[in-house]
Amino acid sequence: MHRLFDRRIIFVGGKGGVGKTTIAGALALMAADGGRTTLLVSTDPAHSLGDVFDMPIGNEETPLGPNLSGLEIDPEAEAERHIATVKMSMKSLVAPKMYGAIDRQIELARHSPGTMEAALLERMADLMVDARSRFDLLIFDTAPSGHTIRLLSLPELMAAWIDGMMSYRDRSRRLGEVLKVFSRDQSKEDGFGMIGGSQDEPDDSRDGRIKEILMTRRRKFHRARELLTDASTTAFLLVLNAERLPILESKKTLDLLSKFNVPVAGMIVNRLLPPDAGGDFLRERRLQEDEYREEIDQTFAGLRRIYLHLLPHDVHGVETLREIGEAMAEQLGGAFGAAKAP
Amino acid sequence: MKWADIKEKLRWCAYLASEAYNMPYRSTVARARREQDDLFMLLIFSEMMGIPNPATYYTLELQPIMLERFHDWHTRMGMEHSPLDGFRCC
Repeated sequence: MHRLFDRRIIFVGGKGGVGKTTIAGALALMAADGGRTTLLVSTDPAHSLGDVFDMPIGNEETPLGPNLSGLEIDPEAEAERHIATVKMSMKSLVAPKMYGAIDRQIELARHSPGTMEAALLERMADLMVDARSRFDLLIFDTAPSGHTIRLLSLPELMAAWIDGMMSYRDRSRRLGEVLKVFSRDQSKEDGFGMIGGSQDEPDDSRDGRIKEILMTRRRKFHRARELLTDASTTAFLLVLNAERLPILESKKTLDLLSKFNVPVAGMIVNRLLPPDAGGDFLRERRLQEDEYREEIDQTFAGLRRIYLHLLPHDVHGVETLREIGEAMAEQLGGAFGAAKAP
Repeated sequence: MKWADIKEKLRWCAYLASEAYNMPYRSTVARARREQDDLFMLLIFSEMMGIPNPATYYTLELQPIMLERFHDWHTRMGMEHSPLDGFRCC
């Protein structure tokens, strides 16, 4: 696990309800106790980070202890900020009587599908790039798998989309240059009606601004993509339970992660029944669990695995998280490669 | 007739000749360029017209810049009035 903490960015992901937030919290605490300044970021729209740490955390970086800060990204607030910026720049361009129309129109964008995702991604990308100067380690407690995979694939999709936009602009600009050659002599003499020519001046500055905006976007996406796929910087940890559906979903998630070249560092099998738990009911469940554990061992043989037991009490506050952290550290003490069952 | 006048006339003829030669090329190129720009506009304003666009969040910041051209664009696209309910430019 020490090798894990040498990375700068860790994603903790998995199906809903498998214990991602707990694991992310325990890892963050472990890293912070080990002397690394750590920022724990929740990207799940239904935040539970504050509940696990038993203190309110919001859209601002909140200190949670020595070396440790927490942040629950609020996509709505991010989108709000973005939309406000656009409104401002639009209003600087049109007559005041249009302000109402602009407000109405831009409001539609707020509710269009994908806006929240884009706002969330934007903040994550900013954090991945900027927070490196302030923190040794960034841990993302992500939303359930499907959502996160989509999020991780967005930089690639968006970068491609922006490349397309830029190629249209480039073609238009080249055609504009050709047009200038044809109209060069004329523009010096008198203004005979030129097609398109009379708009050349404002077009140049507009082109410049469009290009700048698109370039800034593209740079950001490419940087995020670079960091995301760099195995020495980033690690994805998959949390699952020894049950049928989490196993199936983990398989799909791993396929997608490898498709997008996101490096997966290992797997945490959470909430196993403790061996000393008694009763016929639990014995039966344990038999079933053993089957699934075997399936996990076979299916994910190539991955490092950590096994954690179900606790007799809720995960609440720093003490329990430390307990979990210690259980993980114990298994990681030796060679991490050979997975030992507890 | 003064020499200067003749020179002026000749320059005028040369100008007309080059215009006659250039005009079809110029209008073709101008049209091609306008088609590129129209496509670009469509990409930016597509969400408003009910065409789902994965990048609406990012095209939003380009809308202010393209706003001045919006009226030209929708008239050229064959829509006499602004196609957007909340947004009337004419």
